[in-house]
Amino acid sequence: MNIALIGNPNCGKTTLYNELTGSNQSVGNWPGVTVEKKSGKLKSENIQANIVDLPGIYSLSTISLEEEVAANYVCKKEMDLIINIVDASNLERNLFLTFQLLDGDFPMIIALNAMDIVEKKQEKINFEELSNLVGVPVIPISASKKQGIDKLIEAIENVDITKGHKPIRYNKDIEETIQKFENQIHDRFIAIRFFEDGLKALDNIKLNRLETKEVLSIYHDDHKKFDLDFDMVLPNARYEKILEFVQKTHIKSAVTKESQTDRIDKILTHKVFGLPIFGVIMFTVFFLAFGPIGTFITNQFVWVINKFFTLIIDGVASLGMASYISSLITNGIFGGLAAVVGFLPQLAILFFALAILEDSGYMARAAFIMDRLLRRFGLSGKSFIPMLIGFGCTVPAITSTRTLDSDHDRKITTMIVPFVSCGAKAPIYGVFAGALFGGGSFLVVFSMYILGLLVAILSAVLFKKTIFKGAKANYIMELPEYRMPTFRNTMRHTWERSKEFLVKAGTILLAAFIIIWFFSYFGVVDGTFRLLTEEEIGHSLLGSIGRFILPILKPIGFTDWQAAVAMLTGFIAKESVVGTLGILYGINGDVIQNGTLLYQSIQAHFTHAQAYAFMVFALLSTPCIAAVSAMWKELKSWKWFVFIIAYEMIIAYLVALMIYQLASIPIGTILTYVLTGIILIFVFFMVRKWIRNKGSACGGDCEHCSQTSGCNLTQYIKYKEILDESKRGDEDGK
Amino acid sequence: MTLQEIQPGESCIVRQVYANNLRKRIIDMGLITGTKIYVKKTAPLGDPIEIIVRGYSLTLRKAEARTILVDRIEG
Repeated sequence: MNIALIGNPNCGKTTLYNELTGSNQSVGNWPGVTVEKKSGKLKSENIQANIVDLPGIYSLSTISLEEEVAANYVCKKEMDLIINIVDASNLERNLFLTFQLLDGDFPMIIALNAMDIVEKKQEKINFEELSNLVGVPVIPISASKKQGIDKLIEAIENVDITKGHKPIRYNKDIEETIQKFENQIHDRFIAIRFFEDGLKALDNIKLNRLETKEVLSIYHDDHKKFDLDFDMVLPNARYEKILEFVQKTHIKSAVTKESQTDRIDKILTHKVFGLPIFGVIMFTVFFLAFGPIGTFITNQFVWVINKFFTLIIDGVASLGMASYISSLITNGIFGGLAAVVGFLPQLAILFFALAILEDSGYMARAAFIMDRLLRRFGLSGKSFIPMLIGFGCTVPAITSTRTLDSDHDRKITTMIVPFVSCGAKAPIYGVFAGALFGGGSFLVVFSMYILGLLVAILSAVLFKKTIFKGAKANYIMELPEYRMPTFRNTMRHTWERSKEFLVKAGTILLAAFIIIWFFSYFGVVDGTFRLLTEEEIGHSLLGSIGRFILPILKPIGFTDWQAAVAMLTGFIAKESVVGTLGILYGINGDVIQNGTLLYQSIQAHFTHAQAYAFMVFALLSTPCIAAVSAMWKELKSWKWFVFIIAYEMIIAYLVALMIYQLASIPIGTILTYVLTGIILIFVFFMVRKWIRNKGSACGGDCEHCSQTSGCNLTQYIKYKEILDESKRGDEDGK
Repeated sequence: MTLQEIQPGESCIVRQVYANNLRKRIIDMGLITGTKIYVKKTAPLGDPIEIIVRGYSLTLRKAEARTILVDRIEG
């Protein structure tokens, strides 16, 4: 038996899922935590059942990809029973989806969640009466307090899945139209979906040509029958019924006092202080993860890991296995693992901080605050979250784009996130800036972060202006009530994201490190192909590739094959660039742990301009293989995938070329600073000006719009006409 | 008048929804002819706006608010 969990976003589905299955999915106070469907076994001794947790939806008429997953699951009737979770503290809006589901005849149970909040507000809901009215069982629960779960499981066990319930009936006019549609479509549920959602509802069924024609002509004829717009008729009828039901069952308390959420929001989204507070919160998150505390924890952690791995490596060496096996284990596998695992503490801190923001409900406010700014670049406030996570790691950042409403938004955000400087690139800047730029190294590193962000935003604008022309980033979002984040859930959240990173990145990176190991420890020496020692790495296959591509990289400041090879290994994992340089320059000791060991070699091999160009290229070029695979998973098309990889390579090359060539012409290092600074500022202001003039999204304000073609606001024009008409009517009346 | 013209702290009743590509969603979220809306505040940067409708808090851009026709009411 398949049981589908369906409900509004952020209504407690995942919490209930965990209670019903005994599993450990993390929960957020941010609409869209569940981005894929998950399934698990029901905790019941009497029946075998599969619980499917679906993304939250407000309505069966969907606008985003994740919503479609849930709506299609229902429309294709893949489940035997629906558990509709209704947030009792937000009854009216939640019941809308319930009523859409009741249009079908599938077996259903309503789980009335958040009863504890209702009680806290000193309100009551007569669930028995509600059950009588809607004709399906209603079970009051509180998923977070674990109340009523047993009763719900009992109800599931007792439900007769062969028998449906009586569908909701509407008034005569509506029923007539539904009947007409049903005669052609032969399914009341789909007929109602068609009434509401138009042709999209027919995707899942097959109609012959005659039926299709008939259905469309009914659609056309019955249009005139209603005073309201056709697509508003059913929602209106539903909300009328919902109000009636709510009035009968919901006993509200007489006193209305200012809620806690209102009080918190008075400060956090304050007109003047809202923005500075947002800035401080974001700075704190970064300071925790990448500041002294994060670095300290990371260093301690890396020290422990290295000690541990050294033990293993020594153990392996003493076993006396074939030389290539012990080389594979020590250099290939553990070398790679150390690089990934050592990066974990900072990410975990970042995930932890984000989890707190998410669970408390602040993340939704962040999107609310940032929307105005991001809209300038054609994105929505929700794109802010992936970009923020992108500073930590590109892989989870790309996965989180699934919460964005429009497909274009999601594609664009996925394609620009890799430009945001991820945490793994930081060691590269650290070593290069530290070696060559001395006291100014802080500025150099900072300029990298700014440059990455700038290229990301410029790319978004560029995509919006060219390939995604006319696409509009949507924004409509519910602000959830603030909740105190629970320790258990925050830790669960952090652990889950960290685990995802470890598993996803770890497995791919491990395989990649073994390949890299093969390429760097095998090569032809004096005519024979064999395993090489550390000192002979210049003869390796990787060395040959590096030498081969060096001429292409010369114009952007690469002078030796070592740098080219290091950059190549960066495609496997950005954190290995520094490590590879260490090996290639023949340095004894761990350069990842102690970057200063590399300073001398870098000072010998790189000028300031070359170093800066190297950093820029490392920042902008194609991200590591884990991020590339995440991108592939989200874009789901060869065309876009190949395009974005090529785009990133070309942009990285061009920007590095520009910076290197410009910096090489004049004499000193001072000019390098000055020039790059001026260029950055110049580009920034040019872009700002350009975006101010042109970049704002169409708001339907036709009077101030310079665009004459490509306007698709027919509804707005219709609305303007009516507006003018009513104005004229008013004047006549006077 | 449109929802955009309603100042924070004021209430209104929806007369018609014309919002273009979010029209369906706006209707399903409960903004239907006759629905009462309370405009709570604007974001720090002046846009989007936060409204209270059917007892919950919804945020939408002024671009969409501009295409929702309303009548201002007292209280």
